[in-house]
Amino acid sequence: MSGGHPDGSLMPNAGLVARREYVEKIRSRAFAVATGILIAVAVGAALIPIGLRAVDRGQITRIGVVSSDPAVTARVVDLVSAYLNPVPPGTDSATVRPHYQLSPQMDLASGLAGVHAGRIDSLLEVTIGSDGGLDFTFHGNDGPTSATIQRLQVATFGAAVVEYSQSLPHTGSGPAFHVPSFETQPTDRGSSVAPIDPGAMGSRTLLASILVVVIFITLTVYGMWVATSVASEKTSRVMELLISAATPRQLLVGKVVGVGAAGLTQYLAILVPATIVLALQDPIATALIGPADPGEAPLVGLTLPILLAFGFFILGFLLYAFVYAAAGSLVSRPEDIQQLAMPLSFVSMAGYFAAIFGMTAINSSAVAFLSFVPFFSPYVMLSRVMLGHVDAWEIGLSLALLVAAIAISTWIAARIYGAGVLLYGQRPGFRTFLRVAIRPDGG
Amino acid sequence: MTLVIDGLSKSYGHVVALDQVGFRVEPGDIFGFLGANGAGKTTTMRIVLDILRADSGTVTWRGRPNIDLPRRTFGYLPEERGLYPRMRILDQLVFFAGLYGVPAGQARRDAVGWLERFRVTDLADRRADELSKGNQQKIQFIAAILHDPEVVLMDEPFTGLDPVNVALLRSAFLELAARGKTLIFSSHQMEMVEALAGAIAIIDRGRLVTSGPTGEVRRRAGRPIVRLAVEADPELAWVSSLPGVRLIRPGPHVSELTVEPGTDPQSILRAALARGGVVTCFEIADASLEDVFIELVGRSAGDGSPAGARAAVESAA
Ligand SMILES: Nc1ncnc2c1ncn2[C@@H]1O[C@H](COP(=O)(O)OP(=O)(O)OP(=O)(O)O)[C@@H](O)[C@H]1O
Ligand SMILES: [Mg+2]
Repeated sequence: MSGGHPDGSLMPNAGLVARREYVEKIRSRAFAVATGILIAVAVGAALIPIGLRAVDRGQITRIGVVSSDPAVTARVVDLVSAYLNPVPPGTDSATVRPHYQLSPQMDLASGLAGVHAGRIDSLLEVTIGSDGGLDFTFHGNDGPTSATIQRLQVATFGAAVVEYSQSLPHTGSGPAFHVPSFETQPTDRGSSVAPIDPGAMGSRTLLASILVVVIFITLTVYGMWVATSVASEKTSRVMELLISAATPRQLLVGKVVGVGAAGLTQYLAILVPATIVLALQDPIATALIGPADPGEAPLVGLTLPILLAFGFFILGFLLYAFVYAAAGSLVSRPEDIQQLAMPLSFVSMAGYFAAIFGMTAINSSAVAFLSFVPFFSPYVMLSRVMLGHVDAWEIGLSLALLVAAIAISTWIAARIYGAGVLLYGQRPGFRTFLRVAIRPDGG
Repeated sequence: MTLVIDGLSKSYGHVVALDQVGFRVEPGDIFGFLGANGAGKTTTMRIVLDILRADSGTVTWRGRPNIDLPRRTFGYLPEERGLYPRMRILDQLVFFAGLYGVPAGQARRDAVGWLERFRVTDLADRRADELSKGNQQKIQFIAAILHDPEVVLMDEPFTGLDPVNVALLRSAFLELAARGKTLIFSSHQMEMVEALAGAIAIIDRGRLVTSGPTGEVRRRAGRPIVRLAVEADPELAWVSSLPGVRLIRPGPHVSELTVEPGTDPQSILRAALARGGVVTCFEIADASLEDVFIELVGRSAGDGSPAGARAAVESAA
């Protein structure tokens, strides 16, 4: 239809279709049952951050120390280690697992090589001044606000003070105390900057995995909702009346938005009780795994990634839902959808696996490439945002490509839908899909 | 100012559903669209509605191509009836009217009015899957006309209705036509078409066979029918010996005969009187639509002929 067509605009028909779809979905028994089950699951999942904390506790950050004087190196290792791994009062030090492992390194070059090889996470370089004062350079990818850096700054200051006091002649008059400087130097492990505290990596990986799984399940389940809903309109033969009253585009967009809104409603219904559990988290955590360590990496700094995840989730849903709707329009019975939707779930699964396995090589160029490919980007870009370093333009480009793909898929889906809804008795298969996409009026 | 269907062709793969079909429907007409099963009626209607695209040919209404017309120009009662199974009847009617741009309040009022007319107000709050087939069909008719379309296309609107409902639907047809609406309906019930349609088109296996005002088509295409009754002679065996006369429907009281073109129907009356019979009924009429249909569609029917038409030909022979 041309732009000037009297029925060219989406509204109000898409809105009417969306509302009808939404109301019918929300009122259905199946919806209530599924939502109930999911609420139970979510409340369980809300306890996950406590699990995350436990995971982070098990995580050991390995820091190498190097200086020109092995004795100084050894003392700094001891002091910093003691500060970073406090033994809570009343606990036996033998039972406490340290979070930080400090090890002396031969020289700067071999220390940096260790960082690059992944043998240690970062390197603390100690420079001994002519007056015996100490300065520190941190070689690592932790951002300046990371818990590790903040605690290291305090620890190194302490080490400098101890070192100074030991070098003082007993007469009491020596050089003045040299306030140690603390610099950070990124080490370029793979990407230019990876501002993630290795201590938080465990929890982030877990959270990213959960989000990817949730997106995968959602895209598949809600996508099937769309396809089933279209197919049942064909089965009940209400379709012919529908397309004589509204355009395929209005019907498609309305359907996808209506189902999407029902899906979001389900999410809200799930989130509210889960949030209550989250709010009560501290008391629960204390009861389950004991009190928080001082300075334990809090789960902050995740707002942006989670917002982005939400954006990718919505756009990913739209992209997949339009294709599912087109698939649904080609089958005569809802039972046949599975077969037609199979190739689509393979695509979805490929994106899912790429994201999950990509987490171990998050800064590789293959993962970077996949994070721009529309059907994969909702998954892969999400794990990149959570775990690697991503420039703003990369996110922008990925989103733009996704939006463009949605526009194209809407167009193709409307084409297939317009022809497909009048076709009965088609063999449900990928080839039918392609044939109708290419020649909708071929019959 | 008319609905002009011109040169429509449509193939499904190598099945030719329509081949250069063209006819005109005058505004305000009730137009009967006839054809055997599989002739292409539904396909034609779908193309007029622009839910199916023709391979070639055009449809214009009041001079504008149908693909440029707003969808609310047309109302449609599809052959395959279908409503949302789990939705309340009144809600569905309001929903569909809404798609055509009717505000909800007005749609609700009009829908209730029509439900009253069809004596089914109690259905308003029922779910569609609880309705009988005939009742669903009435609802579907209301859905087709609730937005007050200029042209209403109805695919076999009378099938499955009991005589009372047929009468209700007929009066609705007449009222809509009186309000200037153009109604096009397909039907296999010839008496209904004869009684309602001011003009008709007959298609056969995708080709237009004839079209025009109903009376004209009957006169043009059919042979005159003679209804004859002779006292104490129900068999009328002698008529077969008359040249150009055929007994097509023997009956216990009145029998029907056809007369070849060129034969004077009065010759039958003269022959009957000459035999000394008492003629209690003699009537010359145009061919019935049924005869015209069988004549035009049944005669040309080859191997792929619809079973119904062939059976009708046999019974007539
Ligand atoms: N989707 C389709 N795919 C293939 N062939 C089709 C399709 N739809 C219709 N046809 C064919 O097109 C021809 C015309 O069909 P159509 O439904 O228009 O007939 P009809 O006149 O409405 O028949 P009926 O009186 O039985 O409803 C038939 O031969 C039919 O088999
Ligand atoms: Mg038909």
